[in-house]
Amino acid sequence: MSSNLSYVQISSCVNPSFWNKLSELKLDVYKLDVSQQRIWGYYTVINSLSCPITVMEVDSTSFNREFSAHNHLLPFQGWILNTNTIEQFKECDKAELINSEGQKLYQKIKDGDVFENTSLLNTFFVLSFADLKRFHYYYWFAFPVPRHVVVEKVHECDLENVFSLEEVETLNSAYMNLNHCQKAYFIVKKRFGKVLEVHTVASVLKTITSEDIDDYYFAFHNISYDRCAVGSIFRNYIAFILYYCDFLQNRTANFISFNLSRVGSQITCKKSIVYKLKLPTKTKDFYTSWVGWEKNERDKMGPKLANMKNTLDPSVIAENAVDLNLKLMKWNLLPSVDLEKIRKTKCLLLGAGTLGCSVARTLLGWGIREITFVDNSTVSFSNPVRQSLFTYQDSVDMKPKSKAAADNLKNIFPGVNSVGHQMTIPMPGHSVGESMLEQTKQSVEKLTQLIKEHDVIFLLLDSRESRWLPTLIASVENKILINAALGFDSYLVMRHGIHNKNYANEAARHPEGYKVIPGNNLACYFCCDVTAPGDSLKGRTLDQQCTVTRPGVSQIAGALAVELSISVLQHKHGVFAPAYYTTSQTVPTQELTVSDDSVLGLVPHSIRGFLSSFEHILPATEKYKNCVACSDLIIKEYKEKQMEFLLNVFNSSKHLEDVALLTELFKETDFGEVLEFSDEDFST
Amino acid sequence: MTSLTIEDFNRCVEDIVNISDKLMDGWKLQQNEGLENGKYIVKKEQKVLPLEQEGSTNFLLIFEYHVAFNISYGVPVLCFNVWKQDGSILTIEQFWKANKKFKDSNMHDTLTQMDHPVLRRPFLTLHPCRTHEIMEPFLERSKNPVVSWLSVVGPFVHLNLTEEYVKICSS
Repeated sequence: MSSNLSYVQISSCVNPSFWNKLSELKLDVYKLDVSQQRIWGYYTVINSLSCPITVMEVDSTSFNREFSAHNHLLPFQGWILNTNTIEQFKECDKAELINSEGQKLYQKIKDGDVFENTSLLNTFFVLSFADLKRFHYYYWFAFPVPRHVVVEKVHECDLENVFSLEEVETLNSAYMNLNHCQKAYFIVKKRFGKVLEVHTVASVLKTITSEDIDDYYFAFHNISYDRCAVGSIFRNYIAFILYYCDFLQNRTANFISFNLSRVGSQITCKKSIVYKLKLPTKTKDFYTSWVGWEKNERDKMGPKLANMKNTLDPSVIAENAVDLNLKLMKWNLLPSVDLEKIRKTKCLLLGAGTLGCSVARTLLGWGIREITFVDNSTVSFSNPVRQSLFTYQDSVDMKPKSKAAADNLKNIFPGVNSVGHQMTIPMPGHSVGESMLEQTKQSVEKLTQLIKEHDVIFLLLDSRESRWLPTLIASVENKILINAALGFDSYLVMRHGIHNKNYANEAARHPEGYKVIPGNNLACYFCCDVTAPGDSLKGRTLDQQCTVTRPGVSQIAGALAVELSISVLQHKHGVFAPAYYTTSQTVPTQELTVSDDSVLGLVPHSIRGFLSSFEHILPATEKYKNCVACSDLIIKEYKEKQMEFLLNVFNSSKHLEDVALLTELFKETDFGEVLEFSDEDFST
Repeated sequence: MTSLTIEDFNRCVEDIVNISDKLMDGWKLQQNEGLENGKYIVKKEQKVLPLEQEGSTNFLLIFEYHVAFNISYGVPVLCFNVWKQDGSILTIEQFWKANKKFKDSNMHDTLTQMDHPVLRRPFLTLHPCRTHEIMEPFLERSKNPVVSWLSVVGPFVHLNLTEEYVKICSS
């Protein structure tokens, strides 16, 4: 029983390096040139056991002048037409395009080029548009074949039924010796009683006559895994044969559907099939009407889209690599760490000096994507060696620190959204004249707005006064605030309490000898005297000495500030996370474990470090009811009078002492016995 | 031999390529001039595997395996990339979902993403920290410790060596 031979199309497969190379060539060589470029494709000749589909691959070597041969690969020769716009890609006439491709092949058949290189019959075409900004590649492969080639299958049987084992062996080894240009199509001659011969098409095709046709087998490498079908490009072979052997129209001829497979360590053609096929009559449009566009993944005639952003866009590669580093931490060490929460956290860095730079870089390491800097100065020549985000050139250009920090952060990691604001933070005791009134008001509003928009506020300023306004606003807004201050060889990193009193979490189980303070009730920078006990520089706060510091101090304190903020973020109570402290010397803090730790461990209130002895201590202090920055008295006044109150404070810090009732306290007490003054403007 | 030198490694991978050429198995030797550990071998294979996140339908995937030498660990590394027909590369998470062989063991420790020792680009990599442990018994006994090691770890990532390679370890 005879039926028509059915066809399967080879499947296109694009190596990522192909898109990469195409982009490169488009930018550097082709530019706006839309002429067709010759490219190579290849397929594996040995049937794979793990994948029953033959694919034709293209990769970066596809653009080479010569096919880079390898013994298990056979070439396809093709063209790519890369359009300049998506419109051109859509609008070009696909039927016309494939017909003209077919015509090119027909020309090669007519001119006899195919004799030299039968793999020319394996031809393909790519229409593409590369959206290089988005790394999107629209593409459509075609494997042009003549439309009207109906071949009737008269008879089929296994190779071994036609040829002896010895002959199969001869065929096998003769095939291996063929040049790769002749391996896709060749001719086997077998006359009764004679030895089997393998010939190139070039050497015998024109000599075949209608008398000895039965001695010949037209062999073709079959790309179909399906026994019942052959590769569609077989039609090009028929077109070629019929052009030179006109007498074969409407006649039968022998064919070998050649198939190489691996049996153990042997490669054999045993699984090949021998056909007797009846060839068609050449219609008028036999060589002029061509088809072969590939179907897309939805099995429709249409283009495909490769989104290569993850693979080719270096900024996306960087982002994924940064995230992966953090995920490894989650997968291996801290399964319960909430990276998504960290990633979404917006950080406001008040101060872009040594501390600001160090904090920003460590935040990047944690995968923080939103970083805003506020600073009022420009990069000076002494800055770059200590302030890790700046370069010499920034100081030559006198760039504002906030802007330079934001820009350079993006150079380090383009995935960060960093912004700089050049701005002076209004300070108590820094009188506001008529001319500065409007600007001061604007600064207050802007700072308030920035604090509201961010989740974690870092106080990294170099003066004590400048920390006052952000401390007040962050407390009112219930934001996590991390404060860092430096001494010559000591540092203080602490978190502030907030104004919200509603939340009362009970202290978790903790060892005896420890006290606990709920997170919202923790002291701010102004509640406690920051002078270390016994400090010889009596009456001077850490930050007032900070212009002279050991260079490592800012890096350490900056890093600790970030780690503290992350520990707060990862604690289930967040800003309310309680702090534990001990008054006895017998229980070392390292051994303190409490049942409501952050996944990262303890969340201390403050960390004081001393480089002279390389030691840390973790004191915790409660809010001071007369604090000049975060006490109820101050906040009540601020909420009631807003700008009026602030302007009073800016004009005279004495006003703060009045509102916080410190003035009264001073009258009642010999204050010097109780607390030390930190400076003449401030008393806490 | 207590550890594998670069020279040992180069000899081993050249042996692999020689056998592969006879078998038409597709391993190719690549060389990056000017690097001490510039030699590595590459092989591509196509597979059909289900990708979980896109329904359970099977996808045609191209695996490109690289065997290169990691100087800091002093061991060979097996790294690879996997892409779909349009060229888009699978993420490590997508690959984990598609790979049933790691389900019960801790794949995060074993299969990770690292920079290729020669190309310095991210590849899915069998982490080299355990490689020496696996290789140690082979260093004395096997004629080609790289093949011995590869035949042990390869199957976890769908790379199977035919017996022709394993034969040279003992001959």
